[in-house]
Amino acid sequence: MSMSEDERDELRRKFEAYAESRDPALRDQLVTAHLGLAEYLARRFANRGEPLDDLVQVASVGLLKAVDRFDPDRGLEFSTYATPTIVGELKRHFRDKGWAVRVPRRVQELHLRLGKVVSSLSQDVGRSPTIAEIAERAGASEEEVLEAMEAGRAYRFASLDAPGSAGDDENQSLASQLGEDDPLMAGIEHRVALSPLIAELPRREQLILHLRFFEGLTQSEIAGRLGISQMHVSRLLARSLAKLRGSADDT
Amino acid sequence: MEHVGKEAEVRLSIPASPEFLRLARLAAAGLASRMGFTYDEVEDLRIAIDELCFSLVGNSGRPGTIVLRYWMQDDGLVVEGVGQFDDGMGTSPALSPLSQQILKAVVDEHELTIGKDGPEFRLVKRHNAG
Repeated sequence: MSMSEDERDELRRKFEAYAESRDPALRDQLVTAHLGLAEYLARRFANRGEPLDDLVQVASVGLLKAVDRFDPDRGLEFSTYATPTIVGELKRHFRDKGWAVRVPRRVQELHLRLGKVVSSLSQDVGRSPTIAEIAERAGASEEEVLEAMEAGRAYRFASLDAPGSAGDDENQSLASQLGEDDPLMAGIEHRVALSPLIAELPRREQLILHLRFFEGLTQSEIAGRLGISQMHVSRLLARSLAKLRGSADDT
Repeated sequence: MEHVGKEAEVRLSIPASPEFLRLARLAAAGLASRMGFTYDEVEDLRIAIDELCFSLVGNSGRPGTIVLRYWMQDDGLVVEGVGQFDDGMGTSPALSPLSQQILKAVVDEHELTIGKDGPEFRLVKRHNAG
């Protein structure tokens, strides 16, 4: 984030000019010059279950607001002024999502346990277990199990996509490392004809969509085939569908 | 619960907005659970409810309500939803080919039509466990 005195002066002049002229080209330059700050702050909110890309966008909105409101005459450094604005924007983002995300701790804990319970039970009974069976095994009520299943939808969508321990690359998540033969992807043209947005999904999400909705495999079968838990399959499906819906509006 | 008829009906009215759809899913899941549906079947049902409800309200919701009716029947669960919107009928609802494909995979029957109060859907999820 450090910049030279010259750069600092240059930016200060630009801020002064922008305060006068409100020239969009200057605004672009000022925003671009500080994108690093937005990204830096966005990263501090990563690992809370939101994709980093989304957070950077939210932070950038905060940055835009800060550029527009900054008054260079007051002698503050821009970064000092912008940080609380950007952080405020990020916090608001989480708060607005909070309605769906707020889940009682007991249900959160059950949600985390549920994956194992469902897979061991599925093996024991040789089919997808009923909710009553899951509740009994988990020592919870049926309502709690249902809440916990629902929690998987709102709560920590990103957990599967969270970068693996290996590094920063968002594509290096656990699920993306699952190998799968290309023949399974063969029907892609057919599916893409239904929605071009499918092609933009990560490959494993395309695969799961394909197996579930085109090949008619159940979630448990897909889980067995890919060697991931059924909860993960469920979350990825919900996530893909949400994405397909979300981007449908943009087209 | 012997006094609960075999064909019990439950109604739910929610604001036509995505954040309330979880209640629609939970109600369906709760009834399906009572009926002994499996985890897989409950998941399917929730996907179908989402797909159809979103087709009524769109991604950002509409002013108005969705009235959902759930029927527990001998062989499965029937869910109907009617959108009652303050901003008029809008464009007639349509399921994308992808939505059709998804619904075909997760429920036994589905339809989306225009009723007298607004767009409405109906789905049937049969009980295939065991």
